[in-house]
Amino acid sequence: MANNPMQQFTVHKIGPEIKIAGVDLSFTNASLFMVISASIILLFLFFGSKEKKIIPDKLQLIAELFYTFVAKMISDTAGSKAKPYFPFIFCLFMFVLFCNMVGMLPYSFTVTSHIIVTLIMALFIFVAVTIIGFIKHGFKYFSIFVPSGVPAVLLPLITIIEIISYLSRPVSLSVRLFANMMAGHTMLKVFGGFVVSLGILGGWLPLSFSVALTGLEILVAFLQAYVFAILTCIYLNDALNLHH
Amino acid sequence: MTVPEDFKTRLKIAKSKIKKDISDDKEKRGSFMGNAFKLGTELVAAVIVGTIIGFIFDSWFDTKPWLIIIFFFLGAAAGMLNVIRAANRMQKEK
Repeated sequence: MANNPMQQFTVHKIGPEIKIAGVDLSFTNASLFMVISASIILLFLFFGSKEKKIIPDKLQLIAELFYTFVAKMISDTAGSKAKPYFPFIFCLFMFVLFCNMVGMLPYSFTVTSHIIVTLIMALFIFVAVTIIGFIKHGFKYFSIFVPSGVPAVLLPLITIIEIISYLSRPVSLSVRLFANMMAGHTMLKVFGGFVVSLGILGGWLPLSFSVALTGLEILVAFLQAYVFAILTCIYLNDALNLHH
Repeated sequence: MTVPEDFKTRLKIAKSKIKKDISDDKEKRGSFMGNAFKLGTELVAAVIVGTIIGFIFDSWFDTKPWLIIIFFFLGAAAGMLNVIRAANRMQKEK
């Protein structure tokens, strides 16, 4: 059914089926759009940084804008200790942003509207941040679960709450991105369906809504990438500088 | 490479303009909206995680309804803690 608003999220195979050791590794439309987003980023940054002019042209200006934006975000939230992690956070931000933005094009597929994609990214961040914390602080990193200045009676309870709060990080990180993208695209499709079903007389109102929602969705696409990256910075800050 | 004097003064003016723009609230409005998006899921995620932990412990220890109830409330508390922390962070940024 072309009118089904959830139909845009179906994953289907492109090309032959590839099975390695019983695991289905076929190339799907999700993989295709990940490759497209990644290659757009690579091409854009390659041509943006090819000619290093003192007075930059448009492409170089945009590339430098992204660089300073992420660099400023990291130094503001996680301090100078987080500088070595700049490449990782920059990659993450650019990938999420371009997946969201490529998903805004008609007939395209939004990779970030699938929870498995966002959950894997969030779990990777969660595990990486925990490992970094243990490398930097050793067993003292457990003190993140024990806030200072709590009476001894309440300590076990507070510790359990702190552990739940820590474990909820990957869930909130992934669900936020996935839910925002999926809800937005479903809404766009539903209003698009109204335009068709109401015809030329009544279709103008949902059409104007659709236009407004497209603008909102582009804002959300950028904001979610920003939030994803800034929360990674905040978690990194917690791991690098204990108790702040 | 020689930089002409005229270019230097123009650069100075442009730099001072950039500083003014950053202090404008236009840029901050974006991050406020980002914060608003952040808070909602922060609360819900901890409740979900707490309930899942309770469910797993229940099937381990055969204490069917009790641990899931306890961990639901602990998860809600953790969610509120998350939100309070995020709000504190927002105030500090101001």
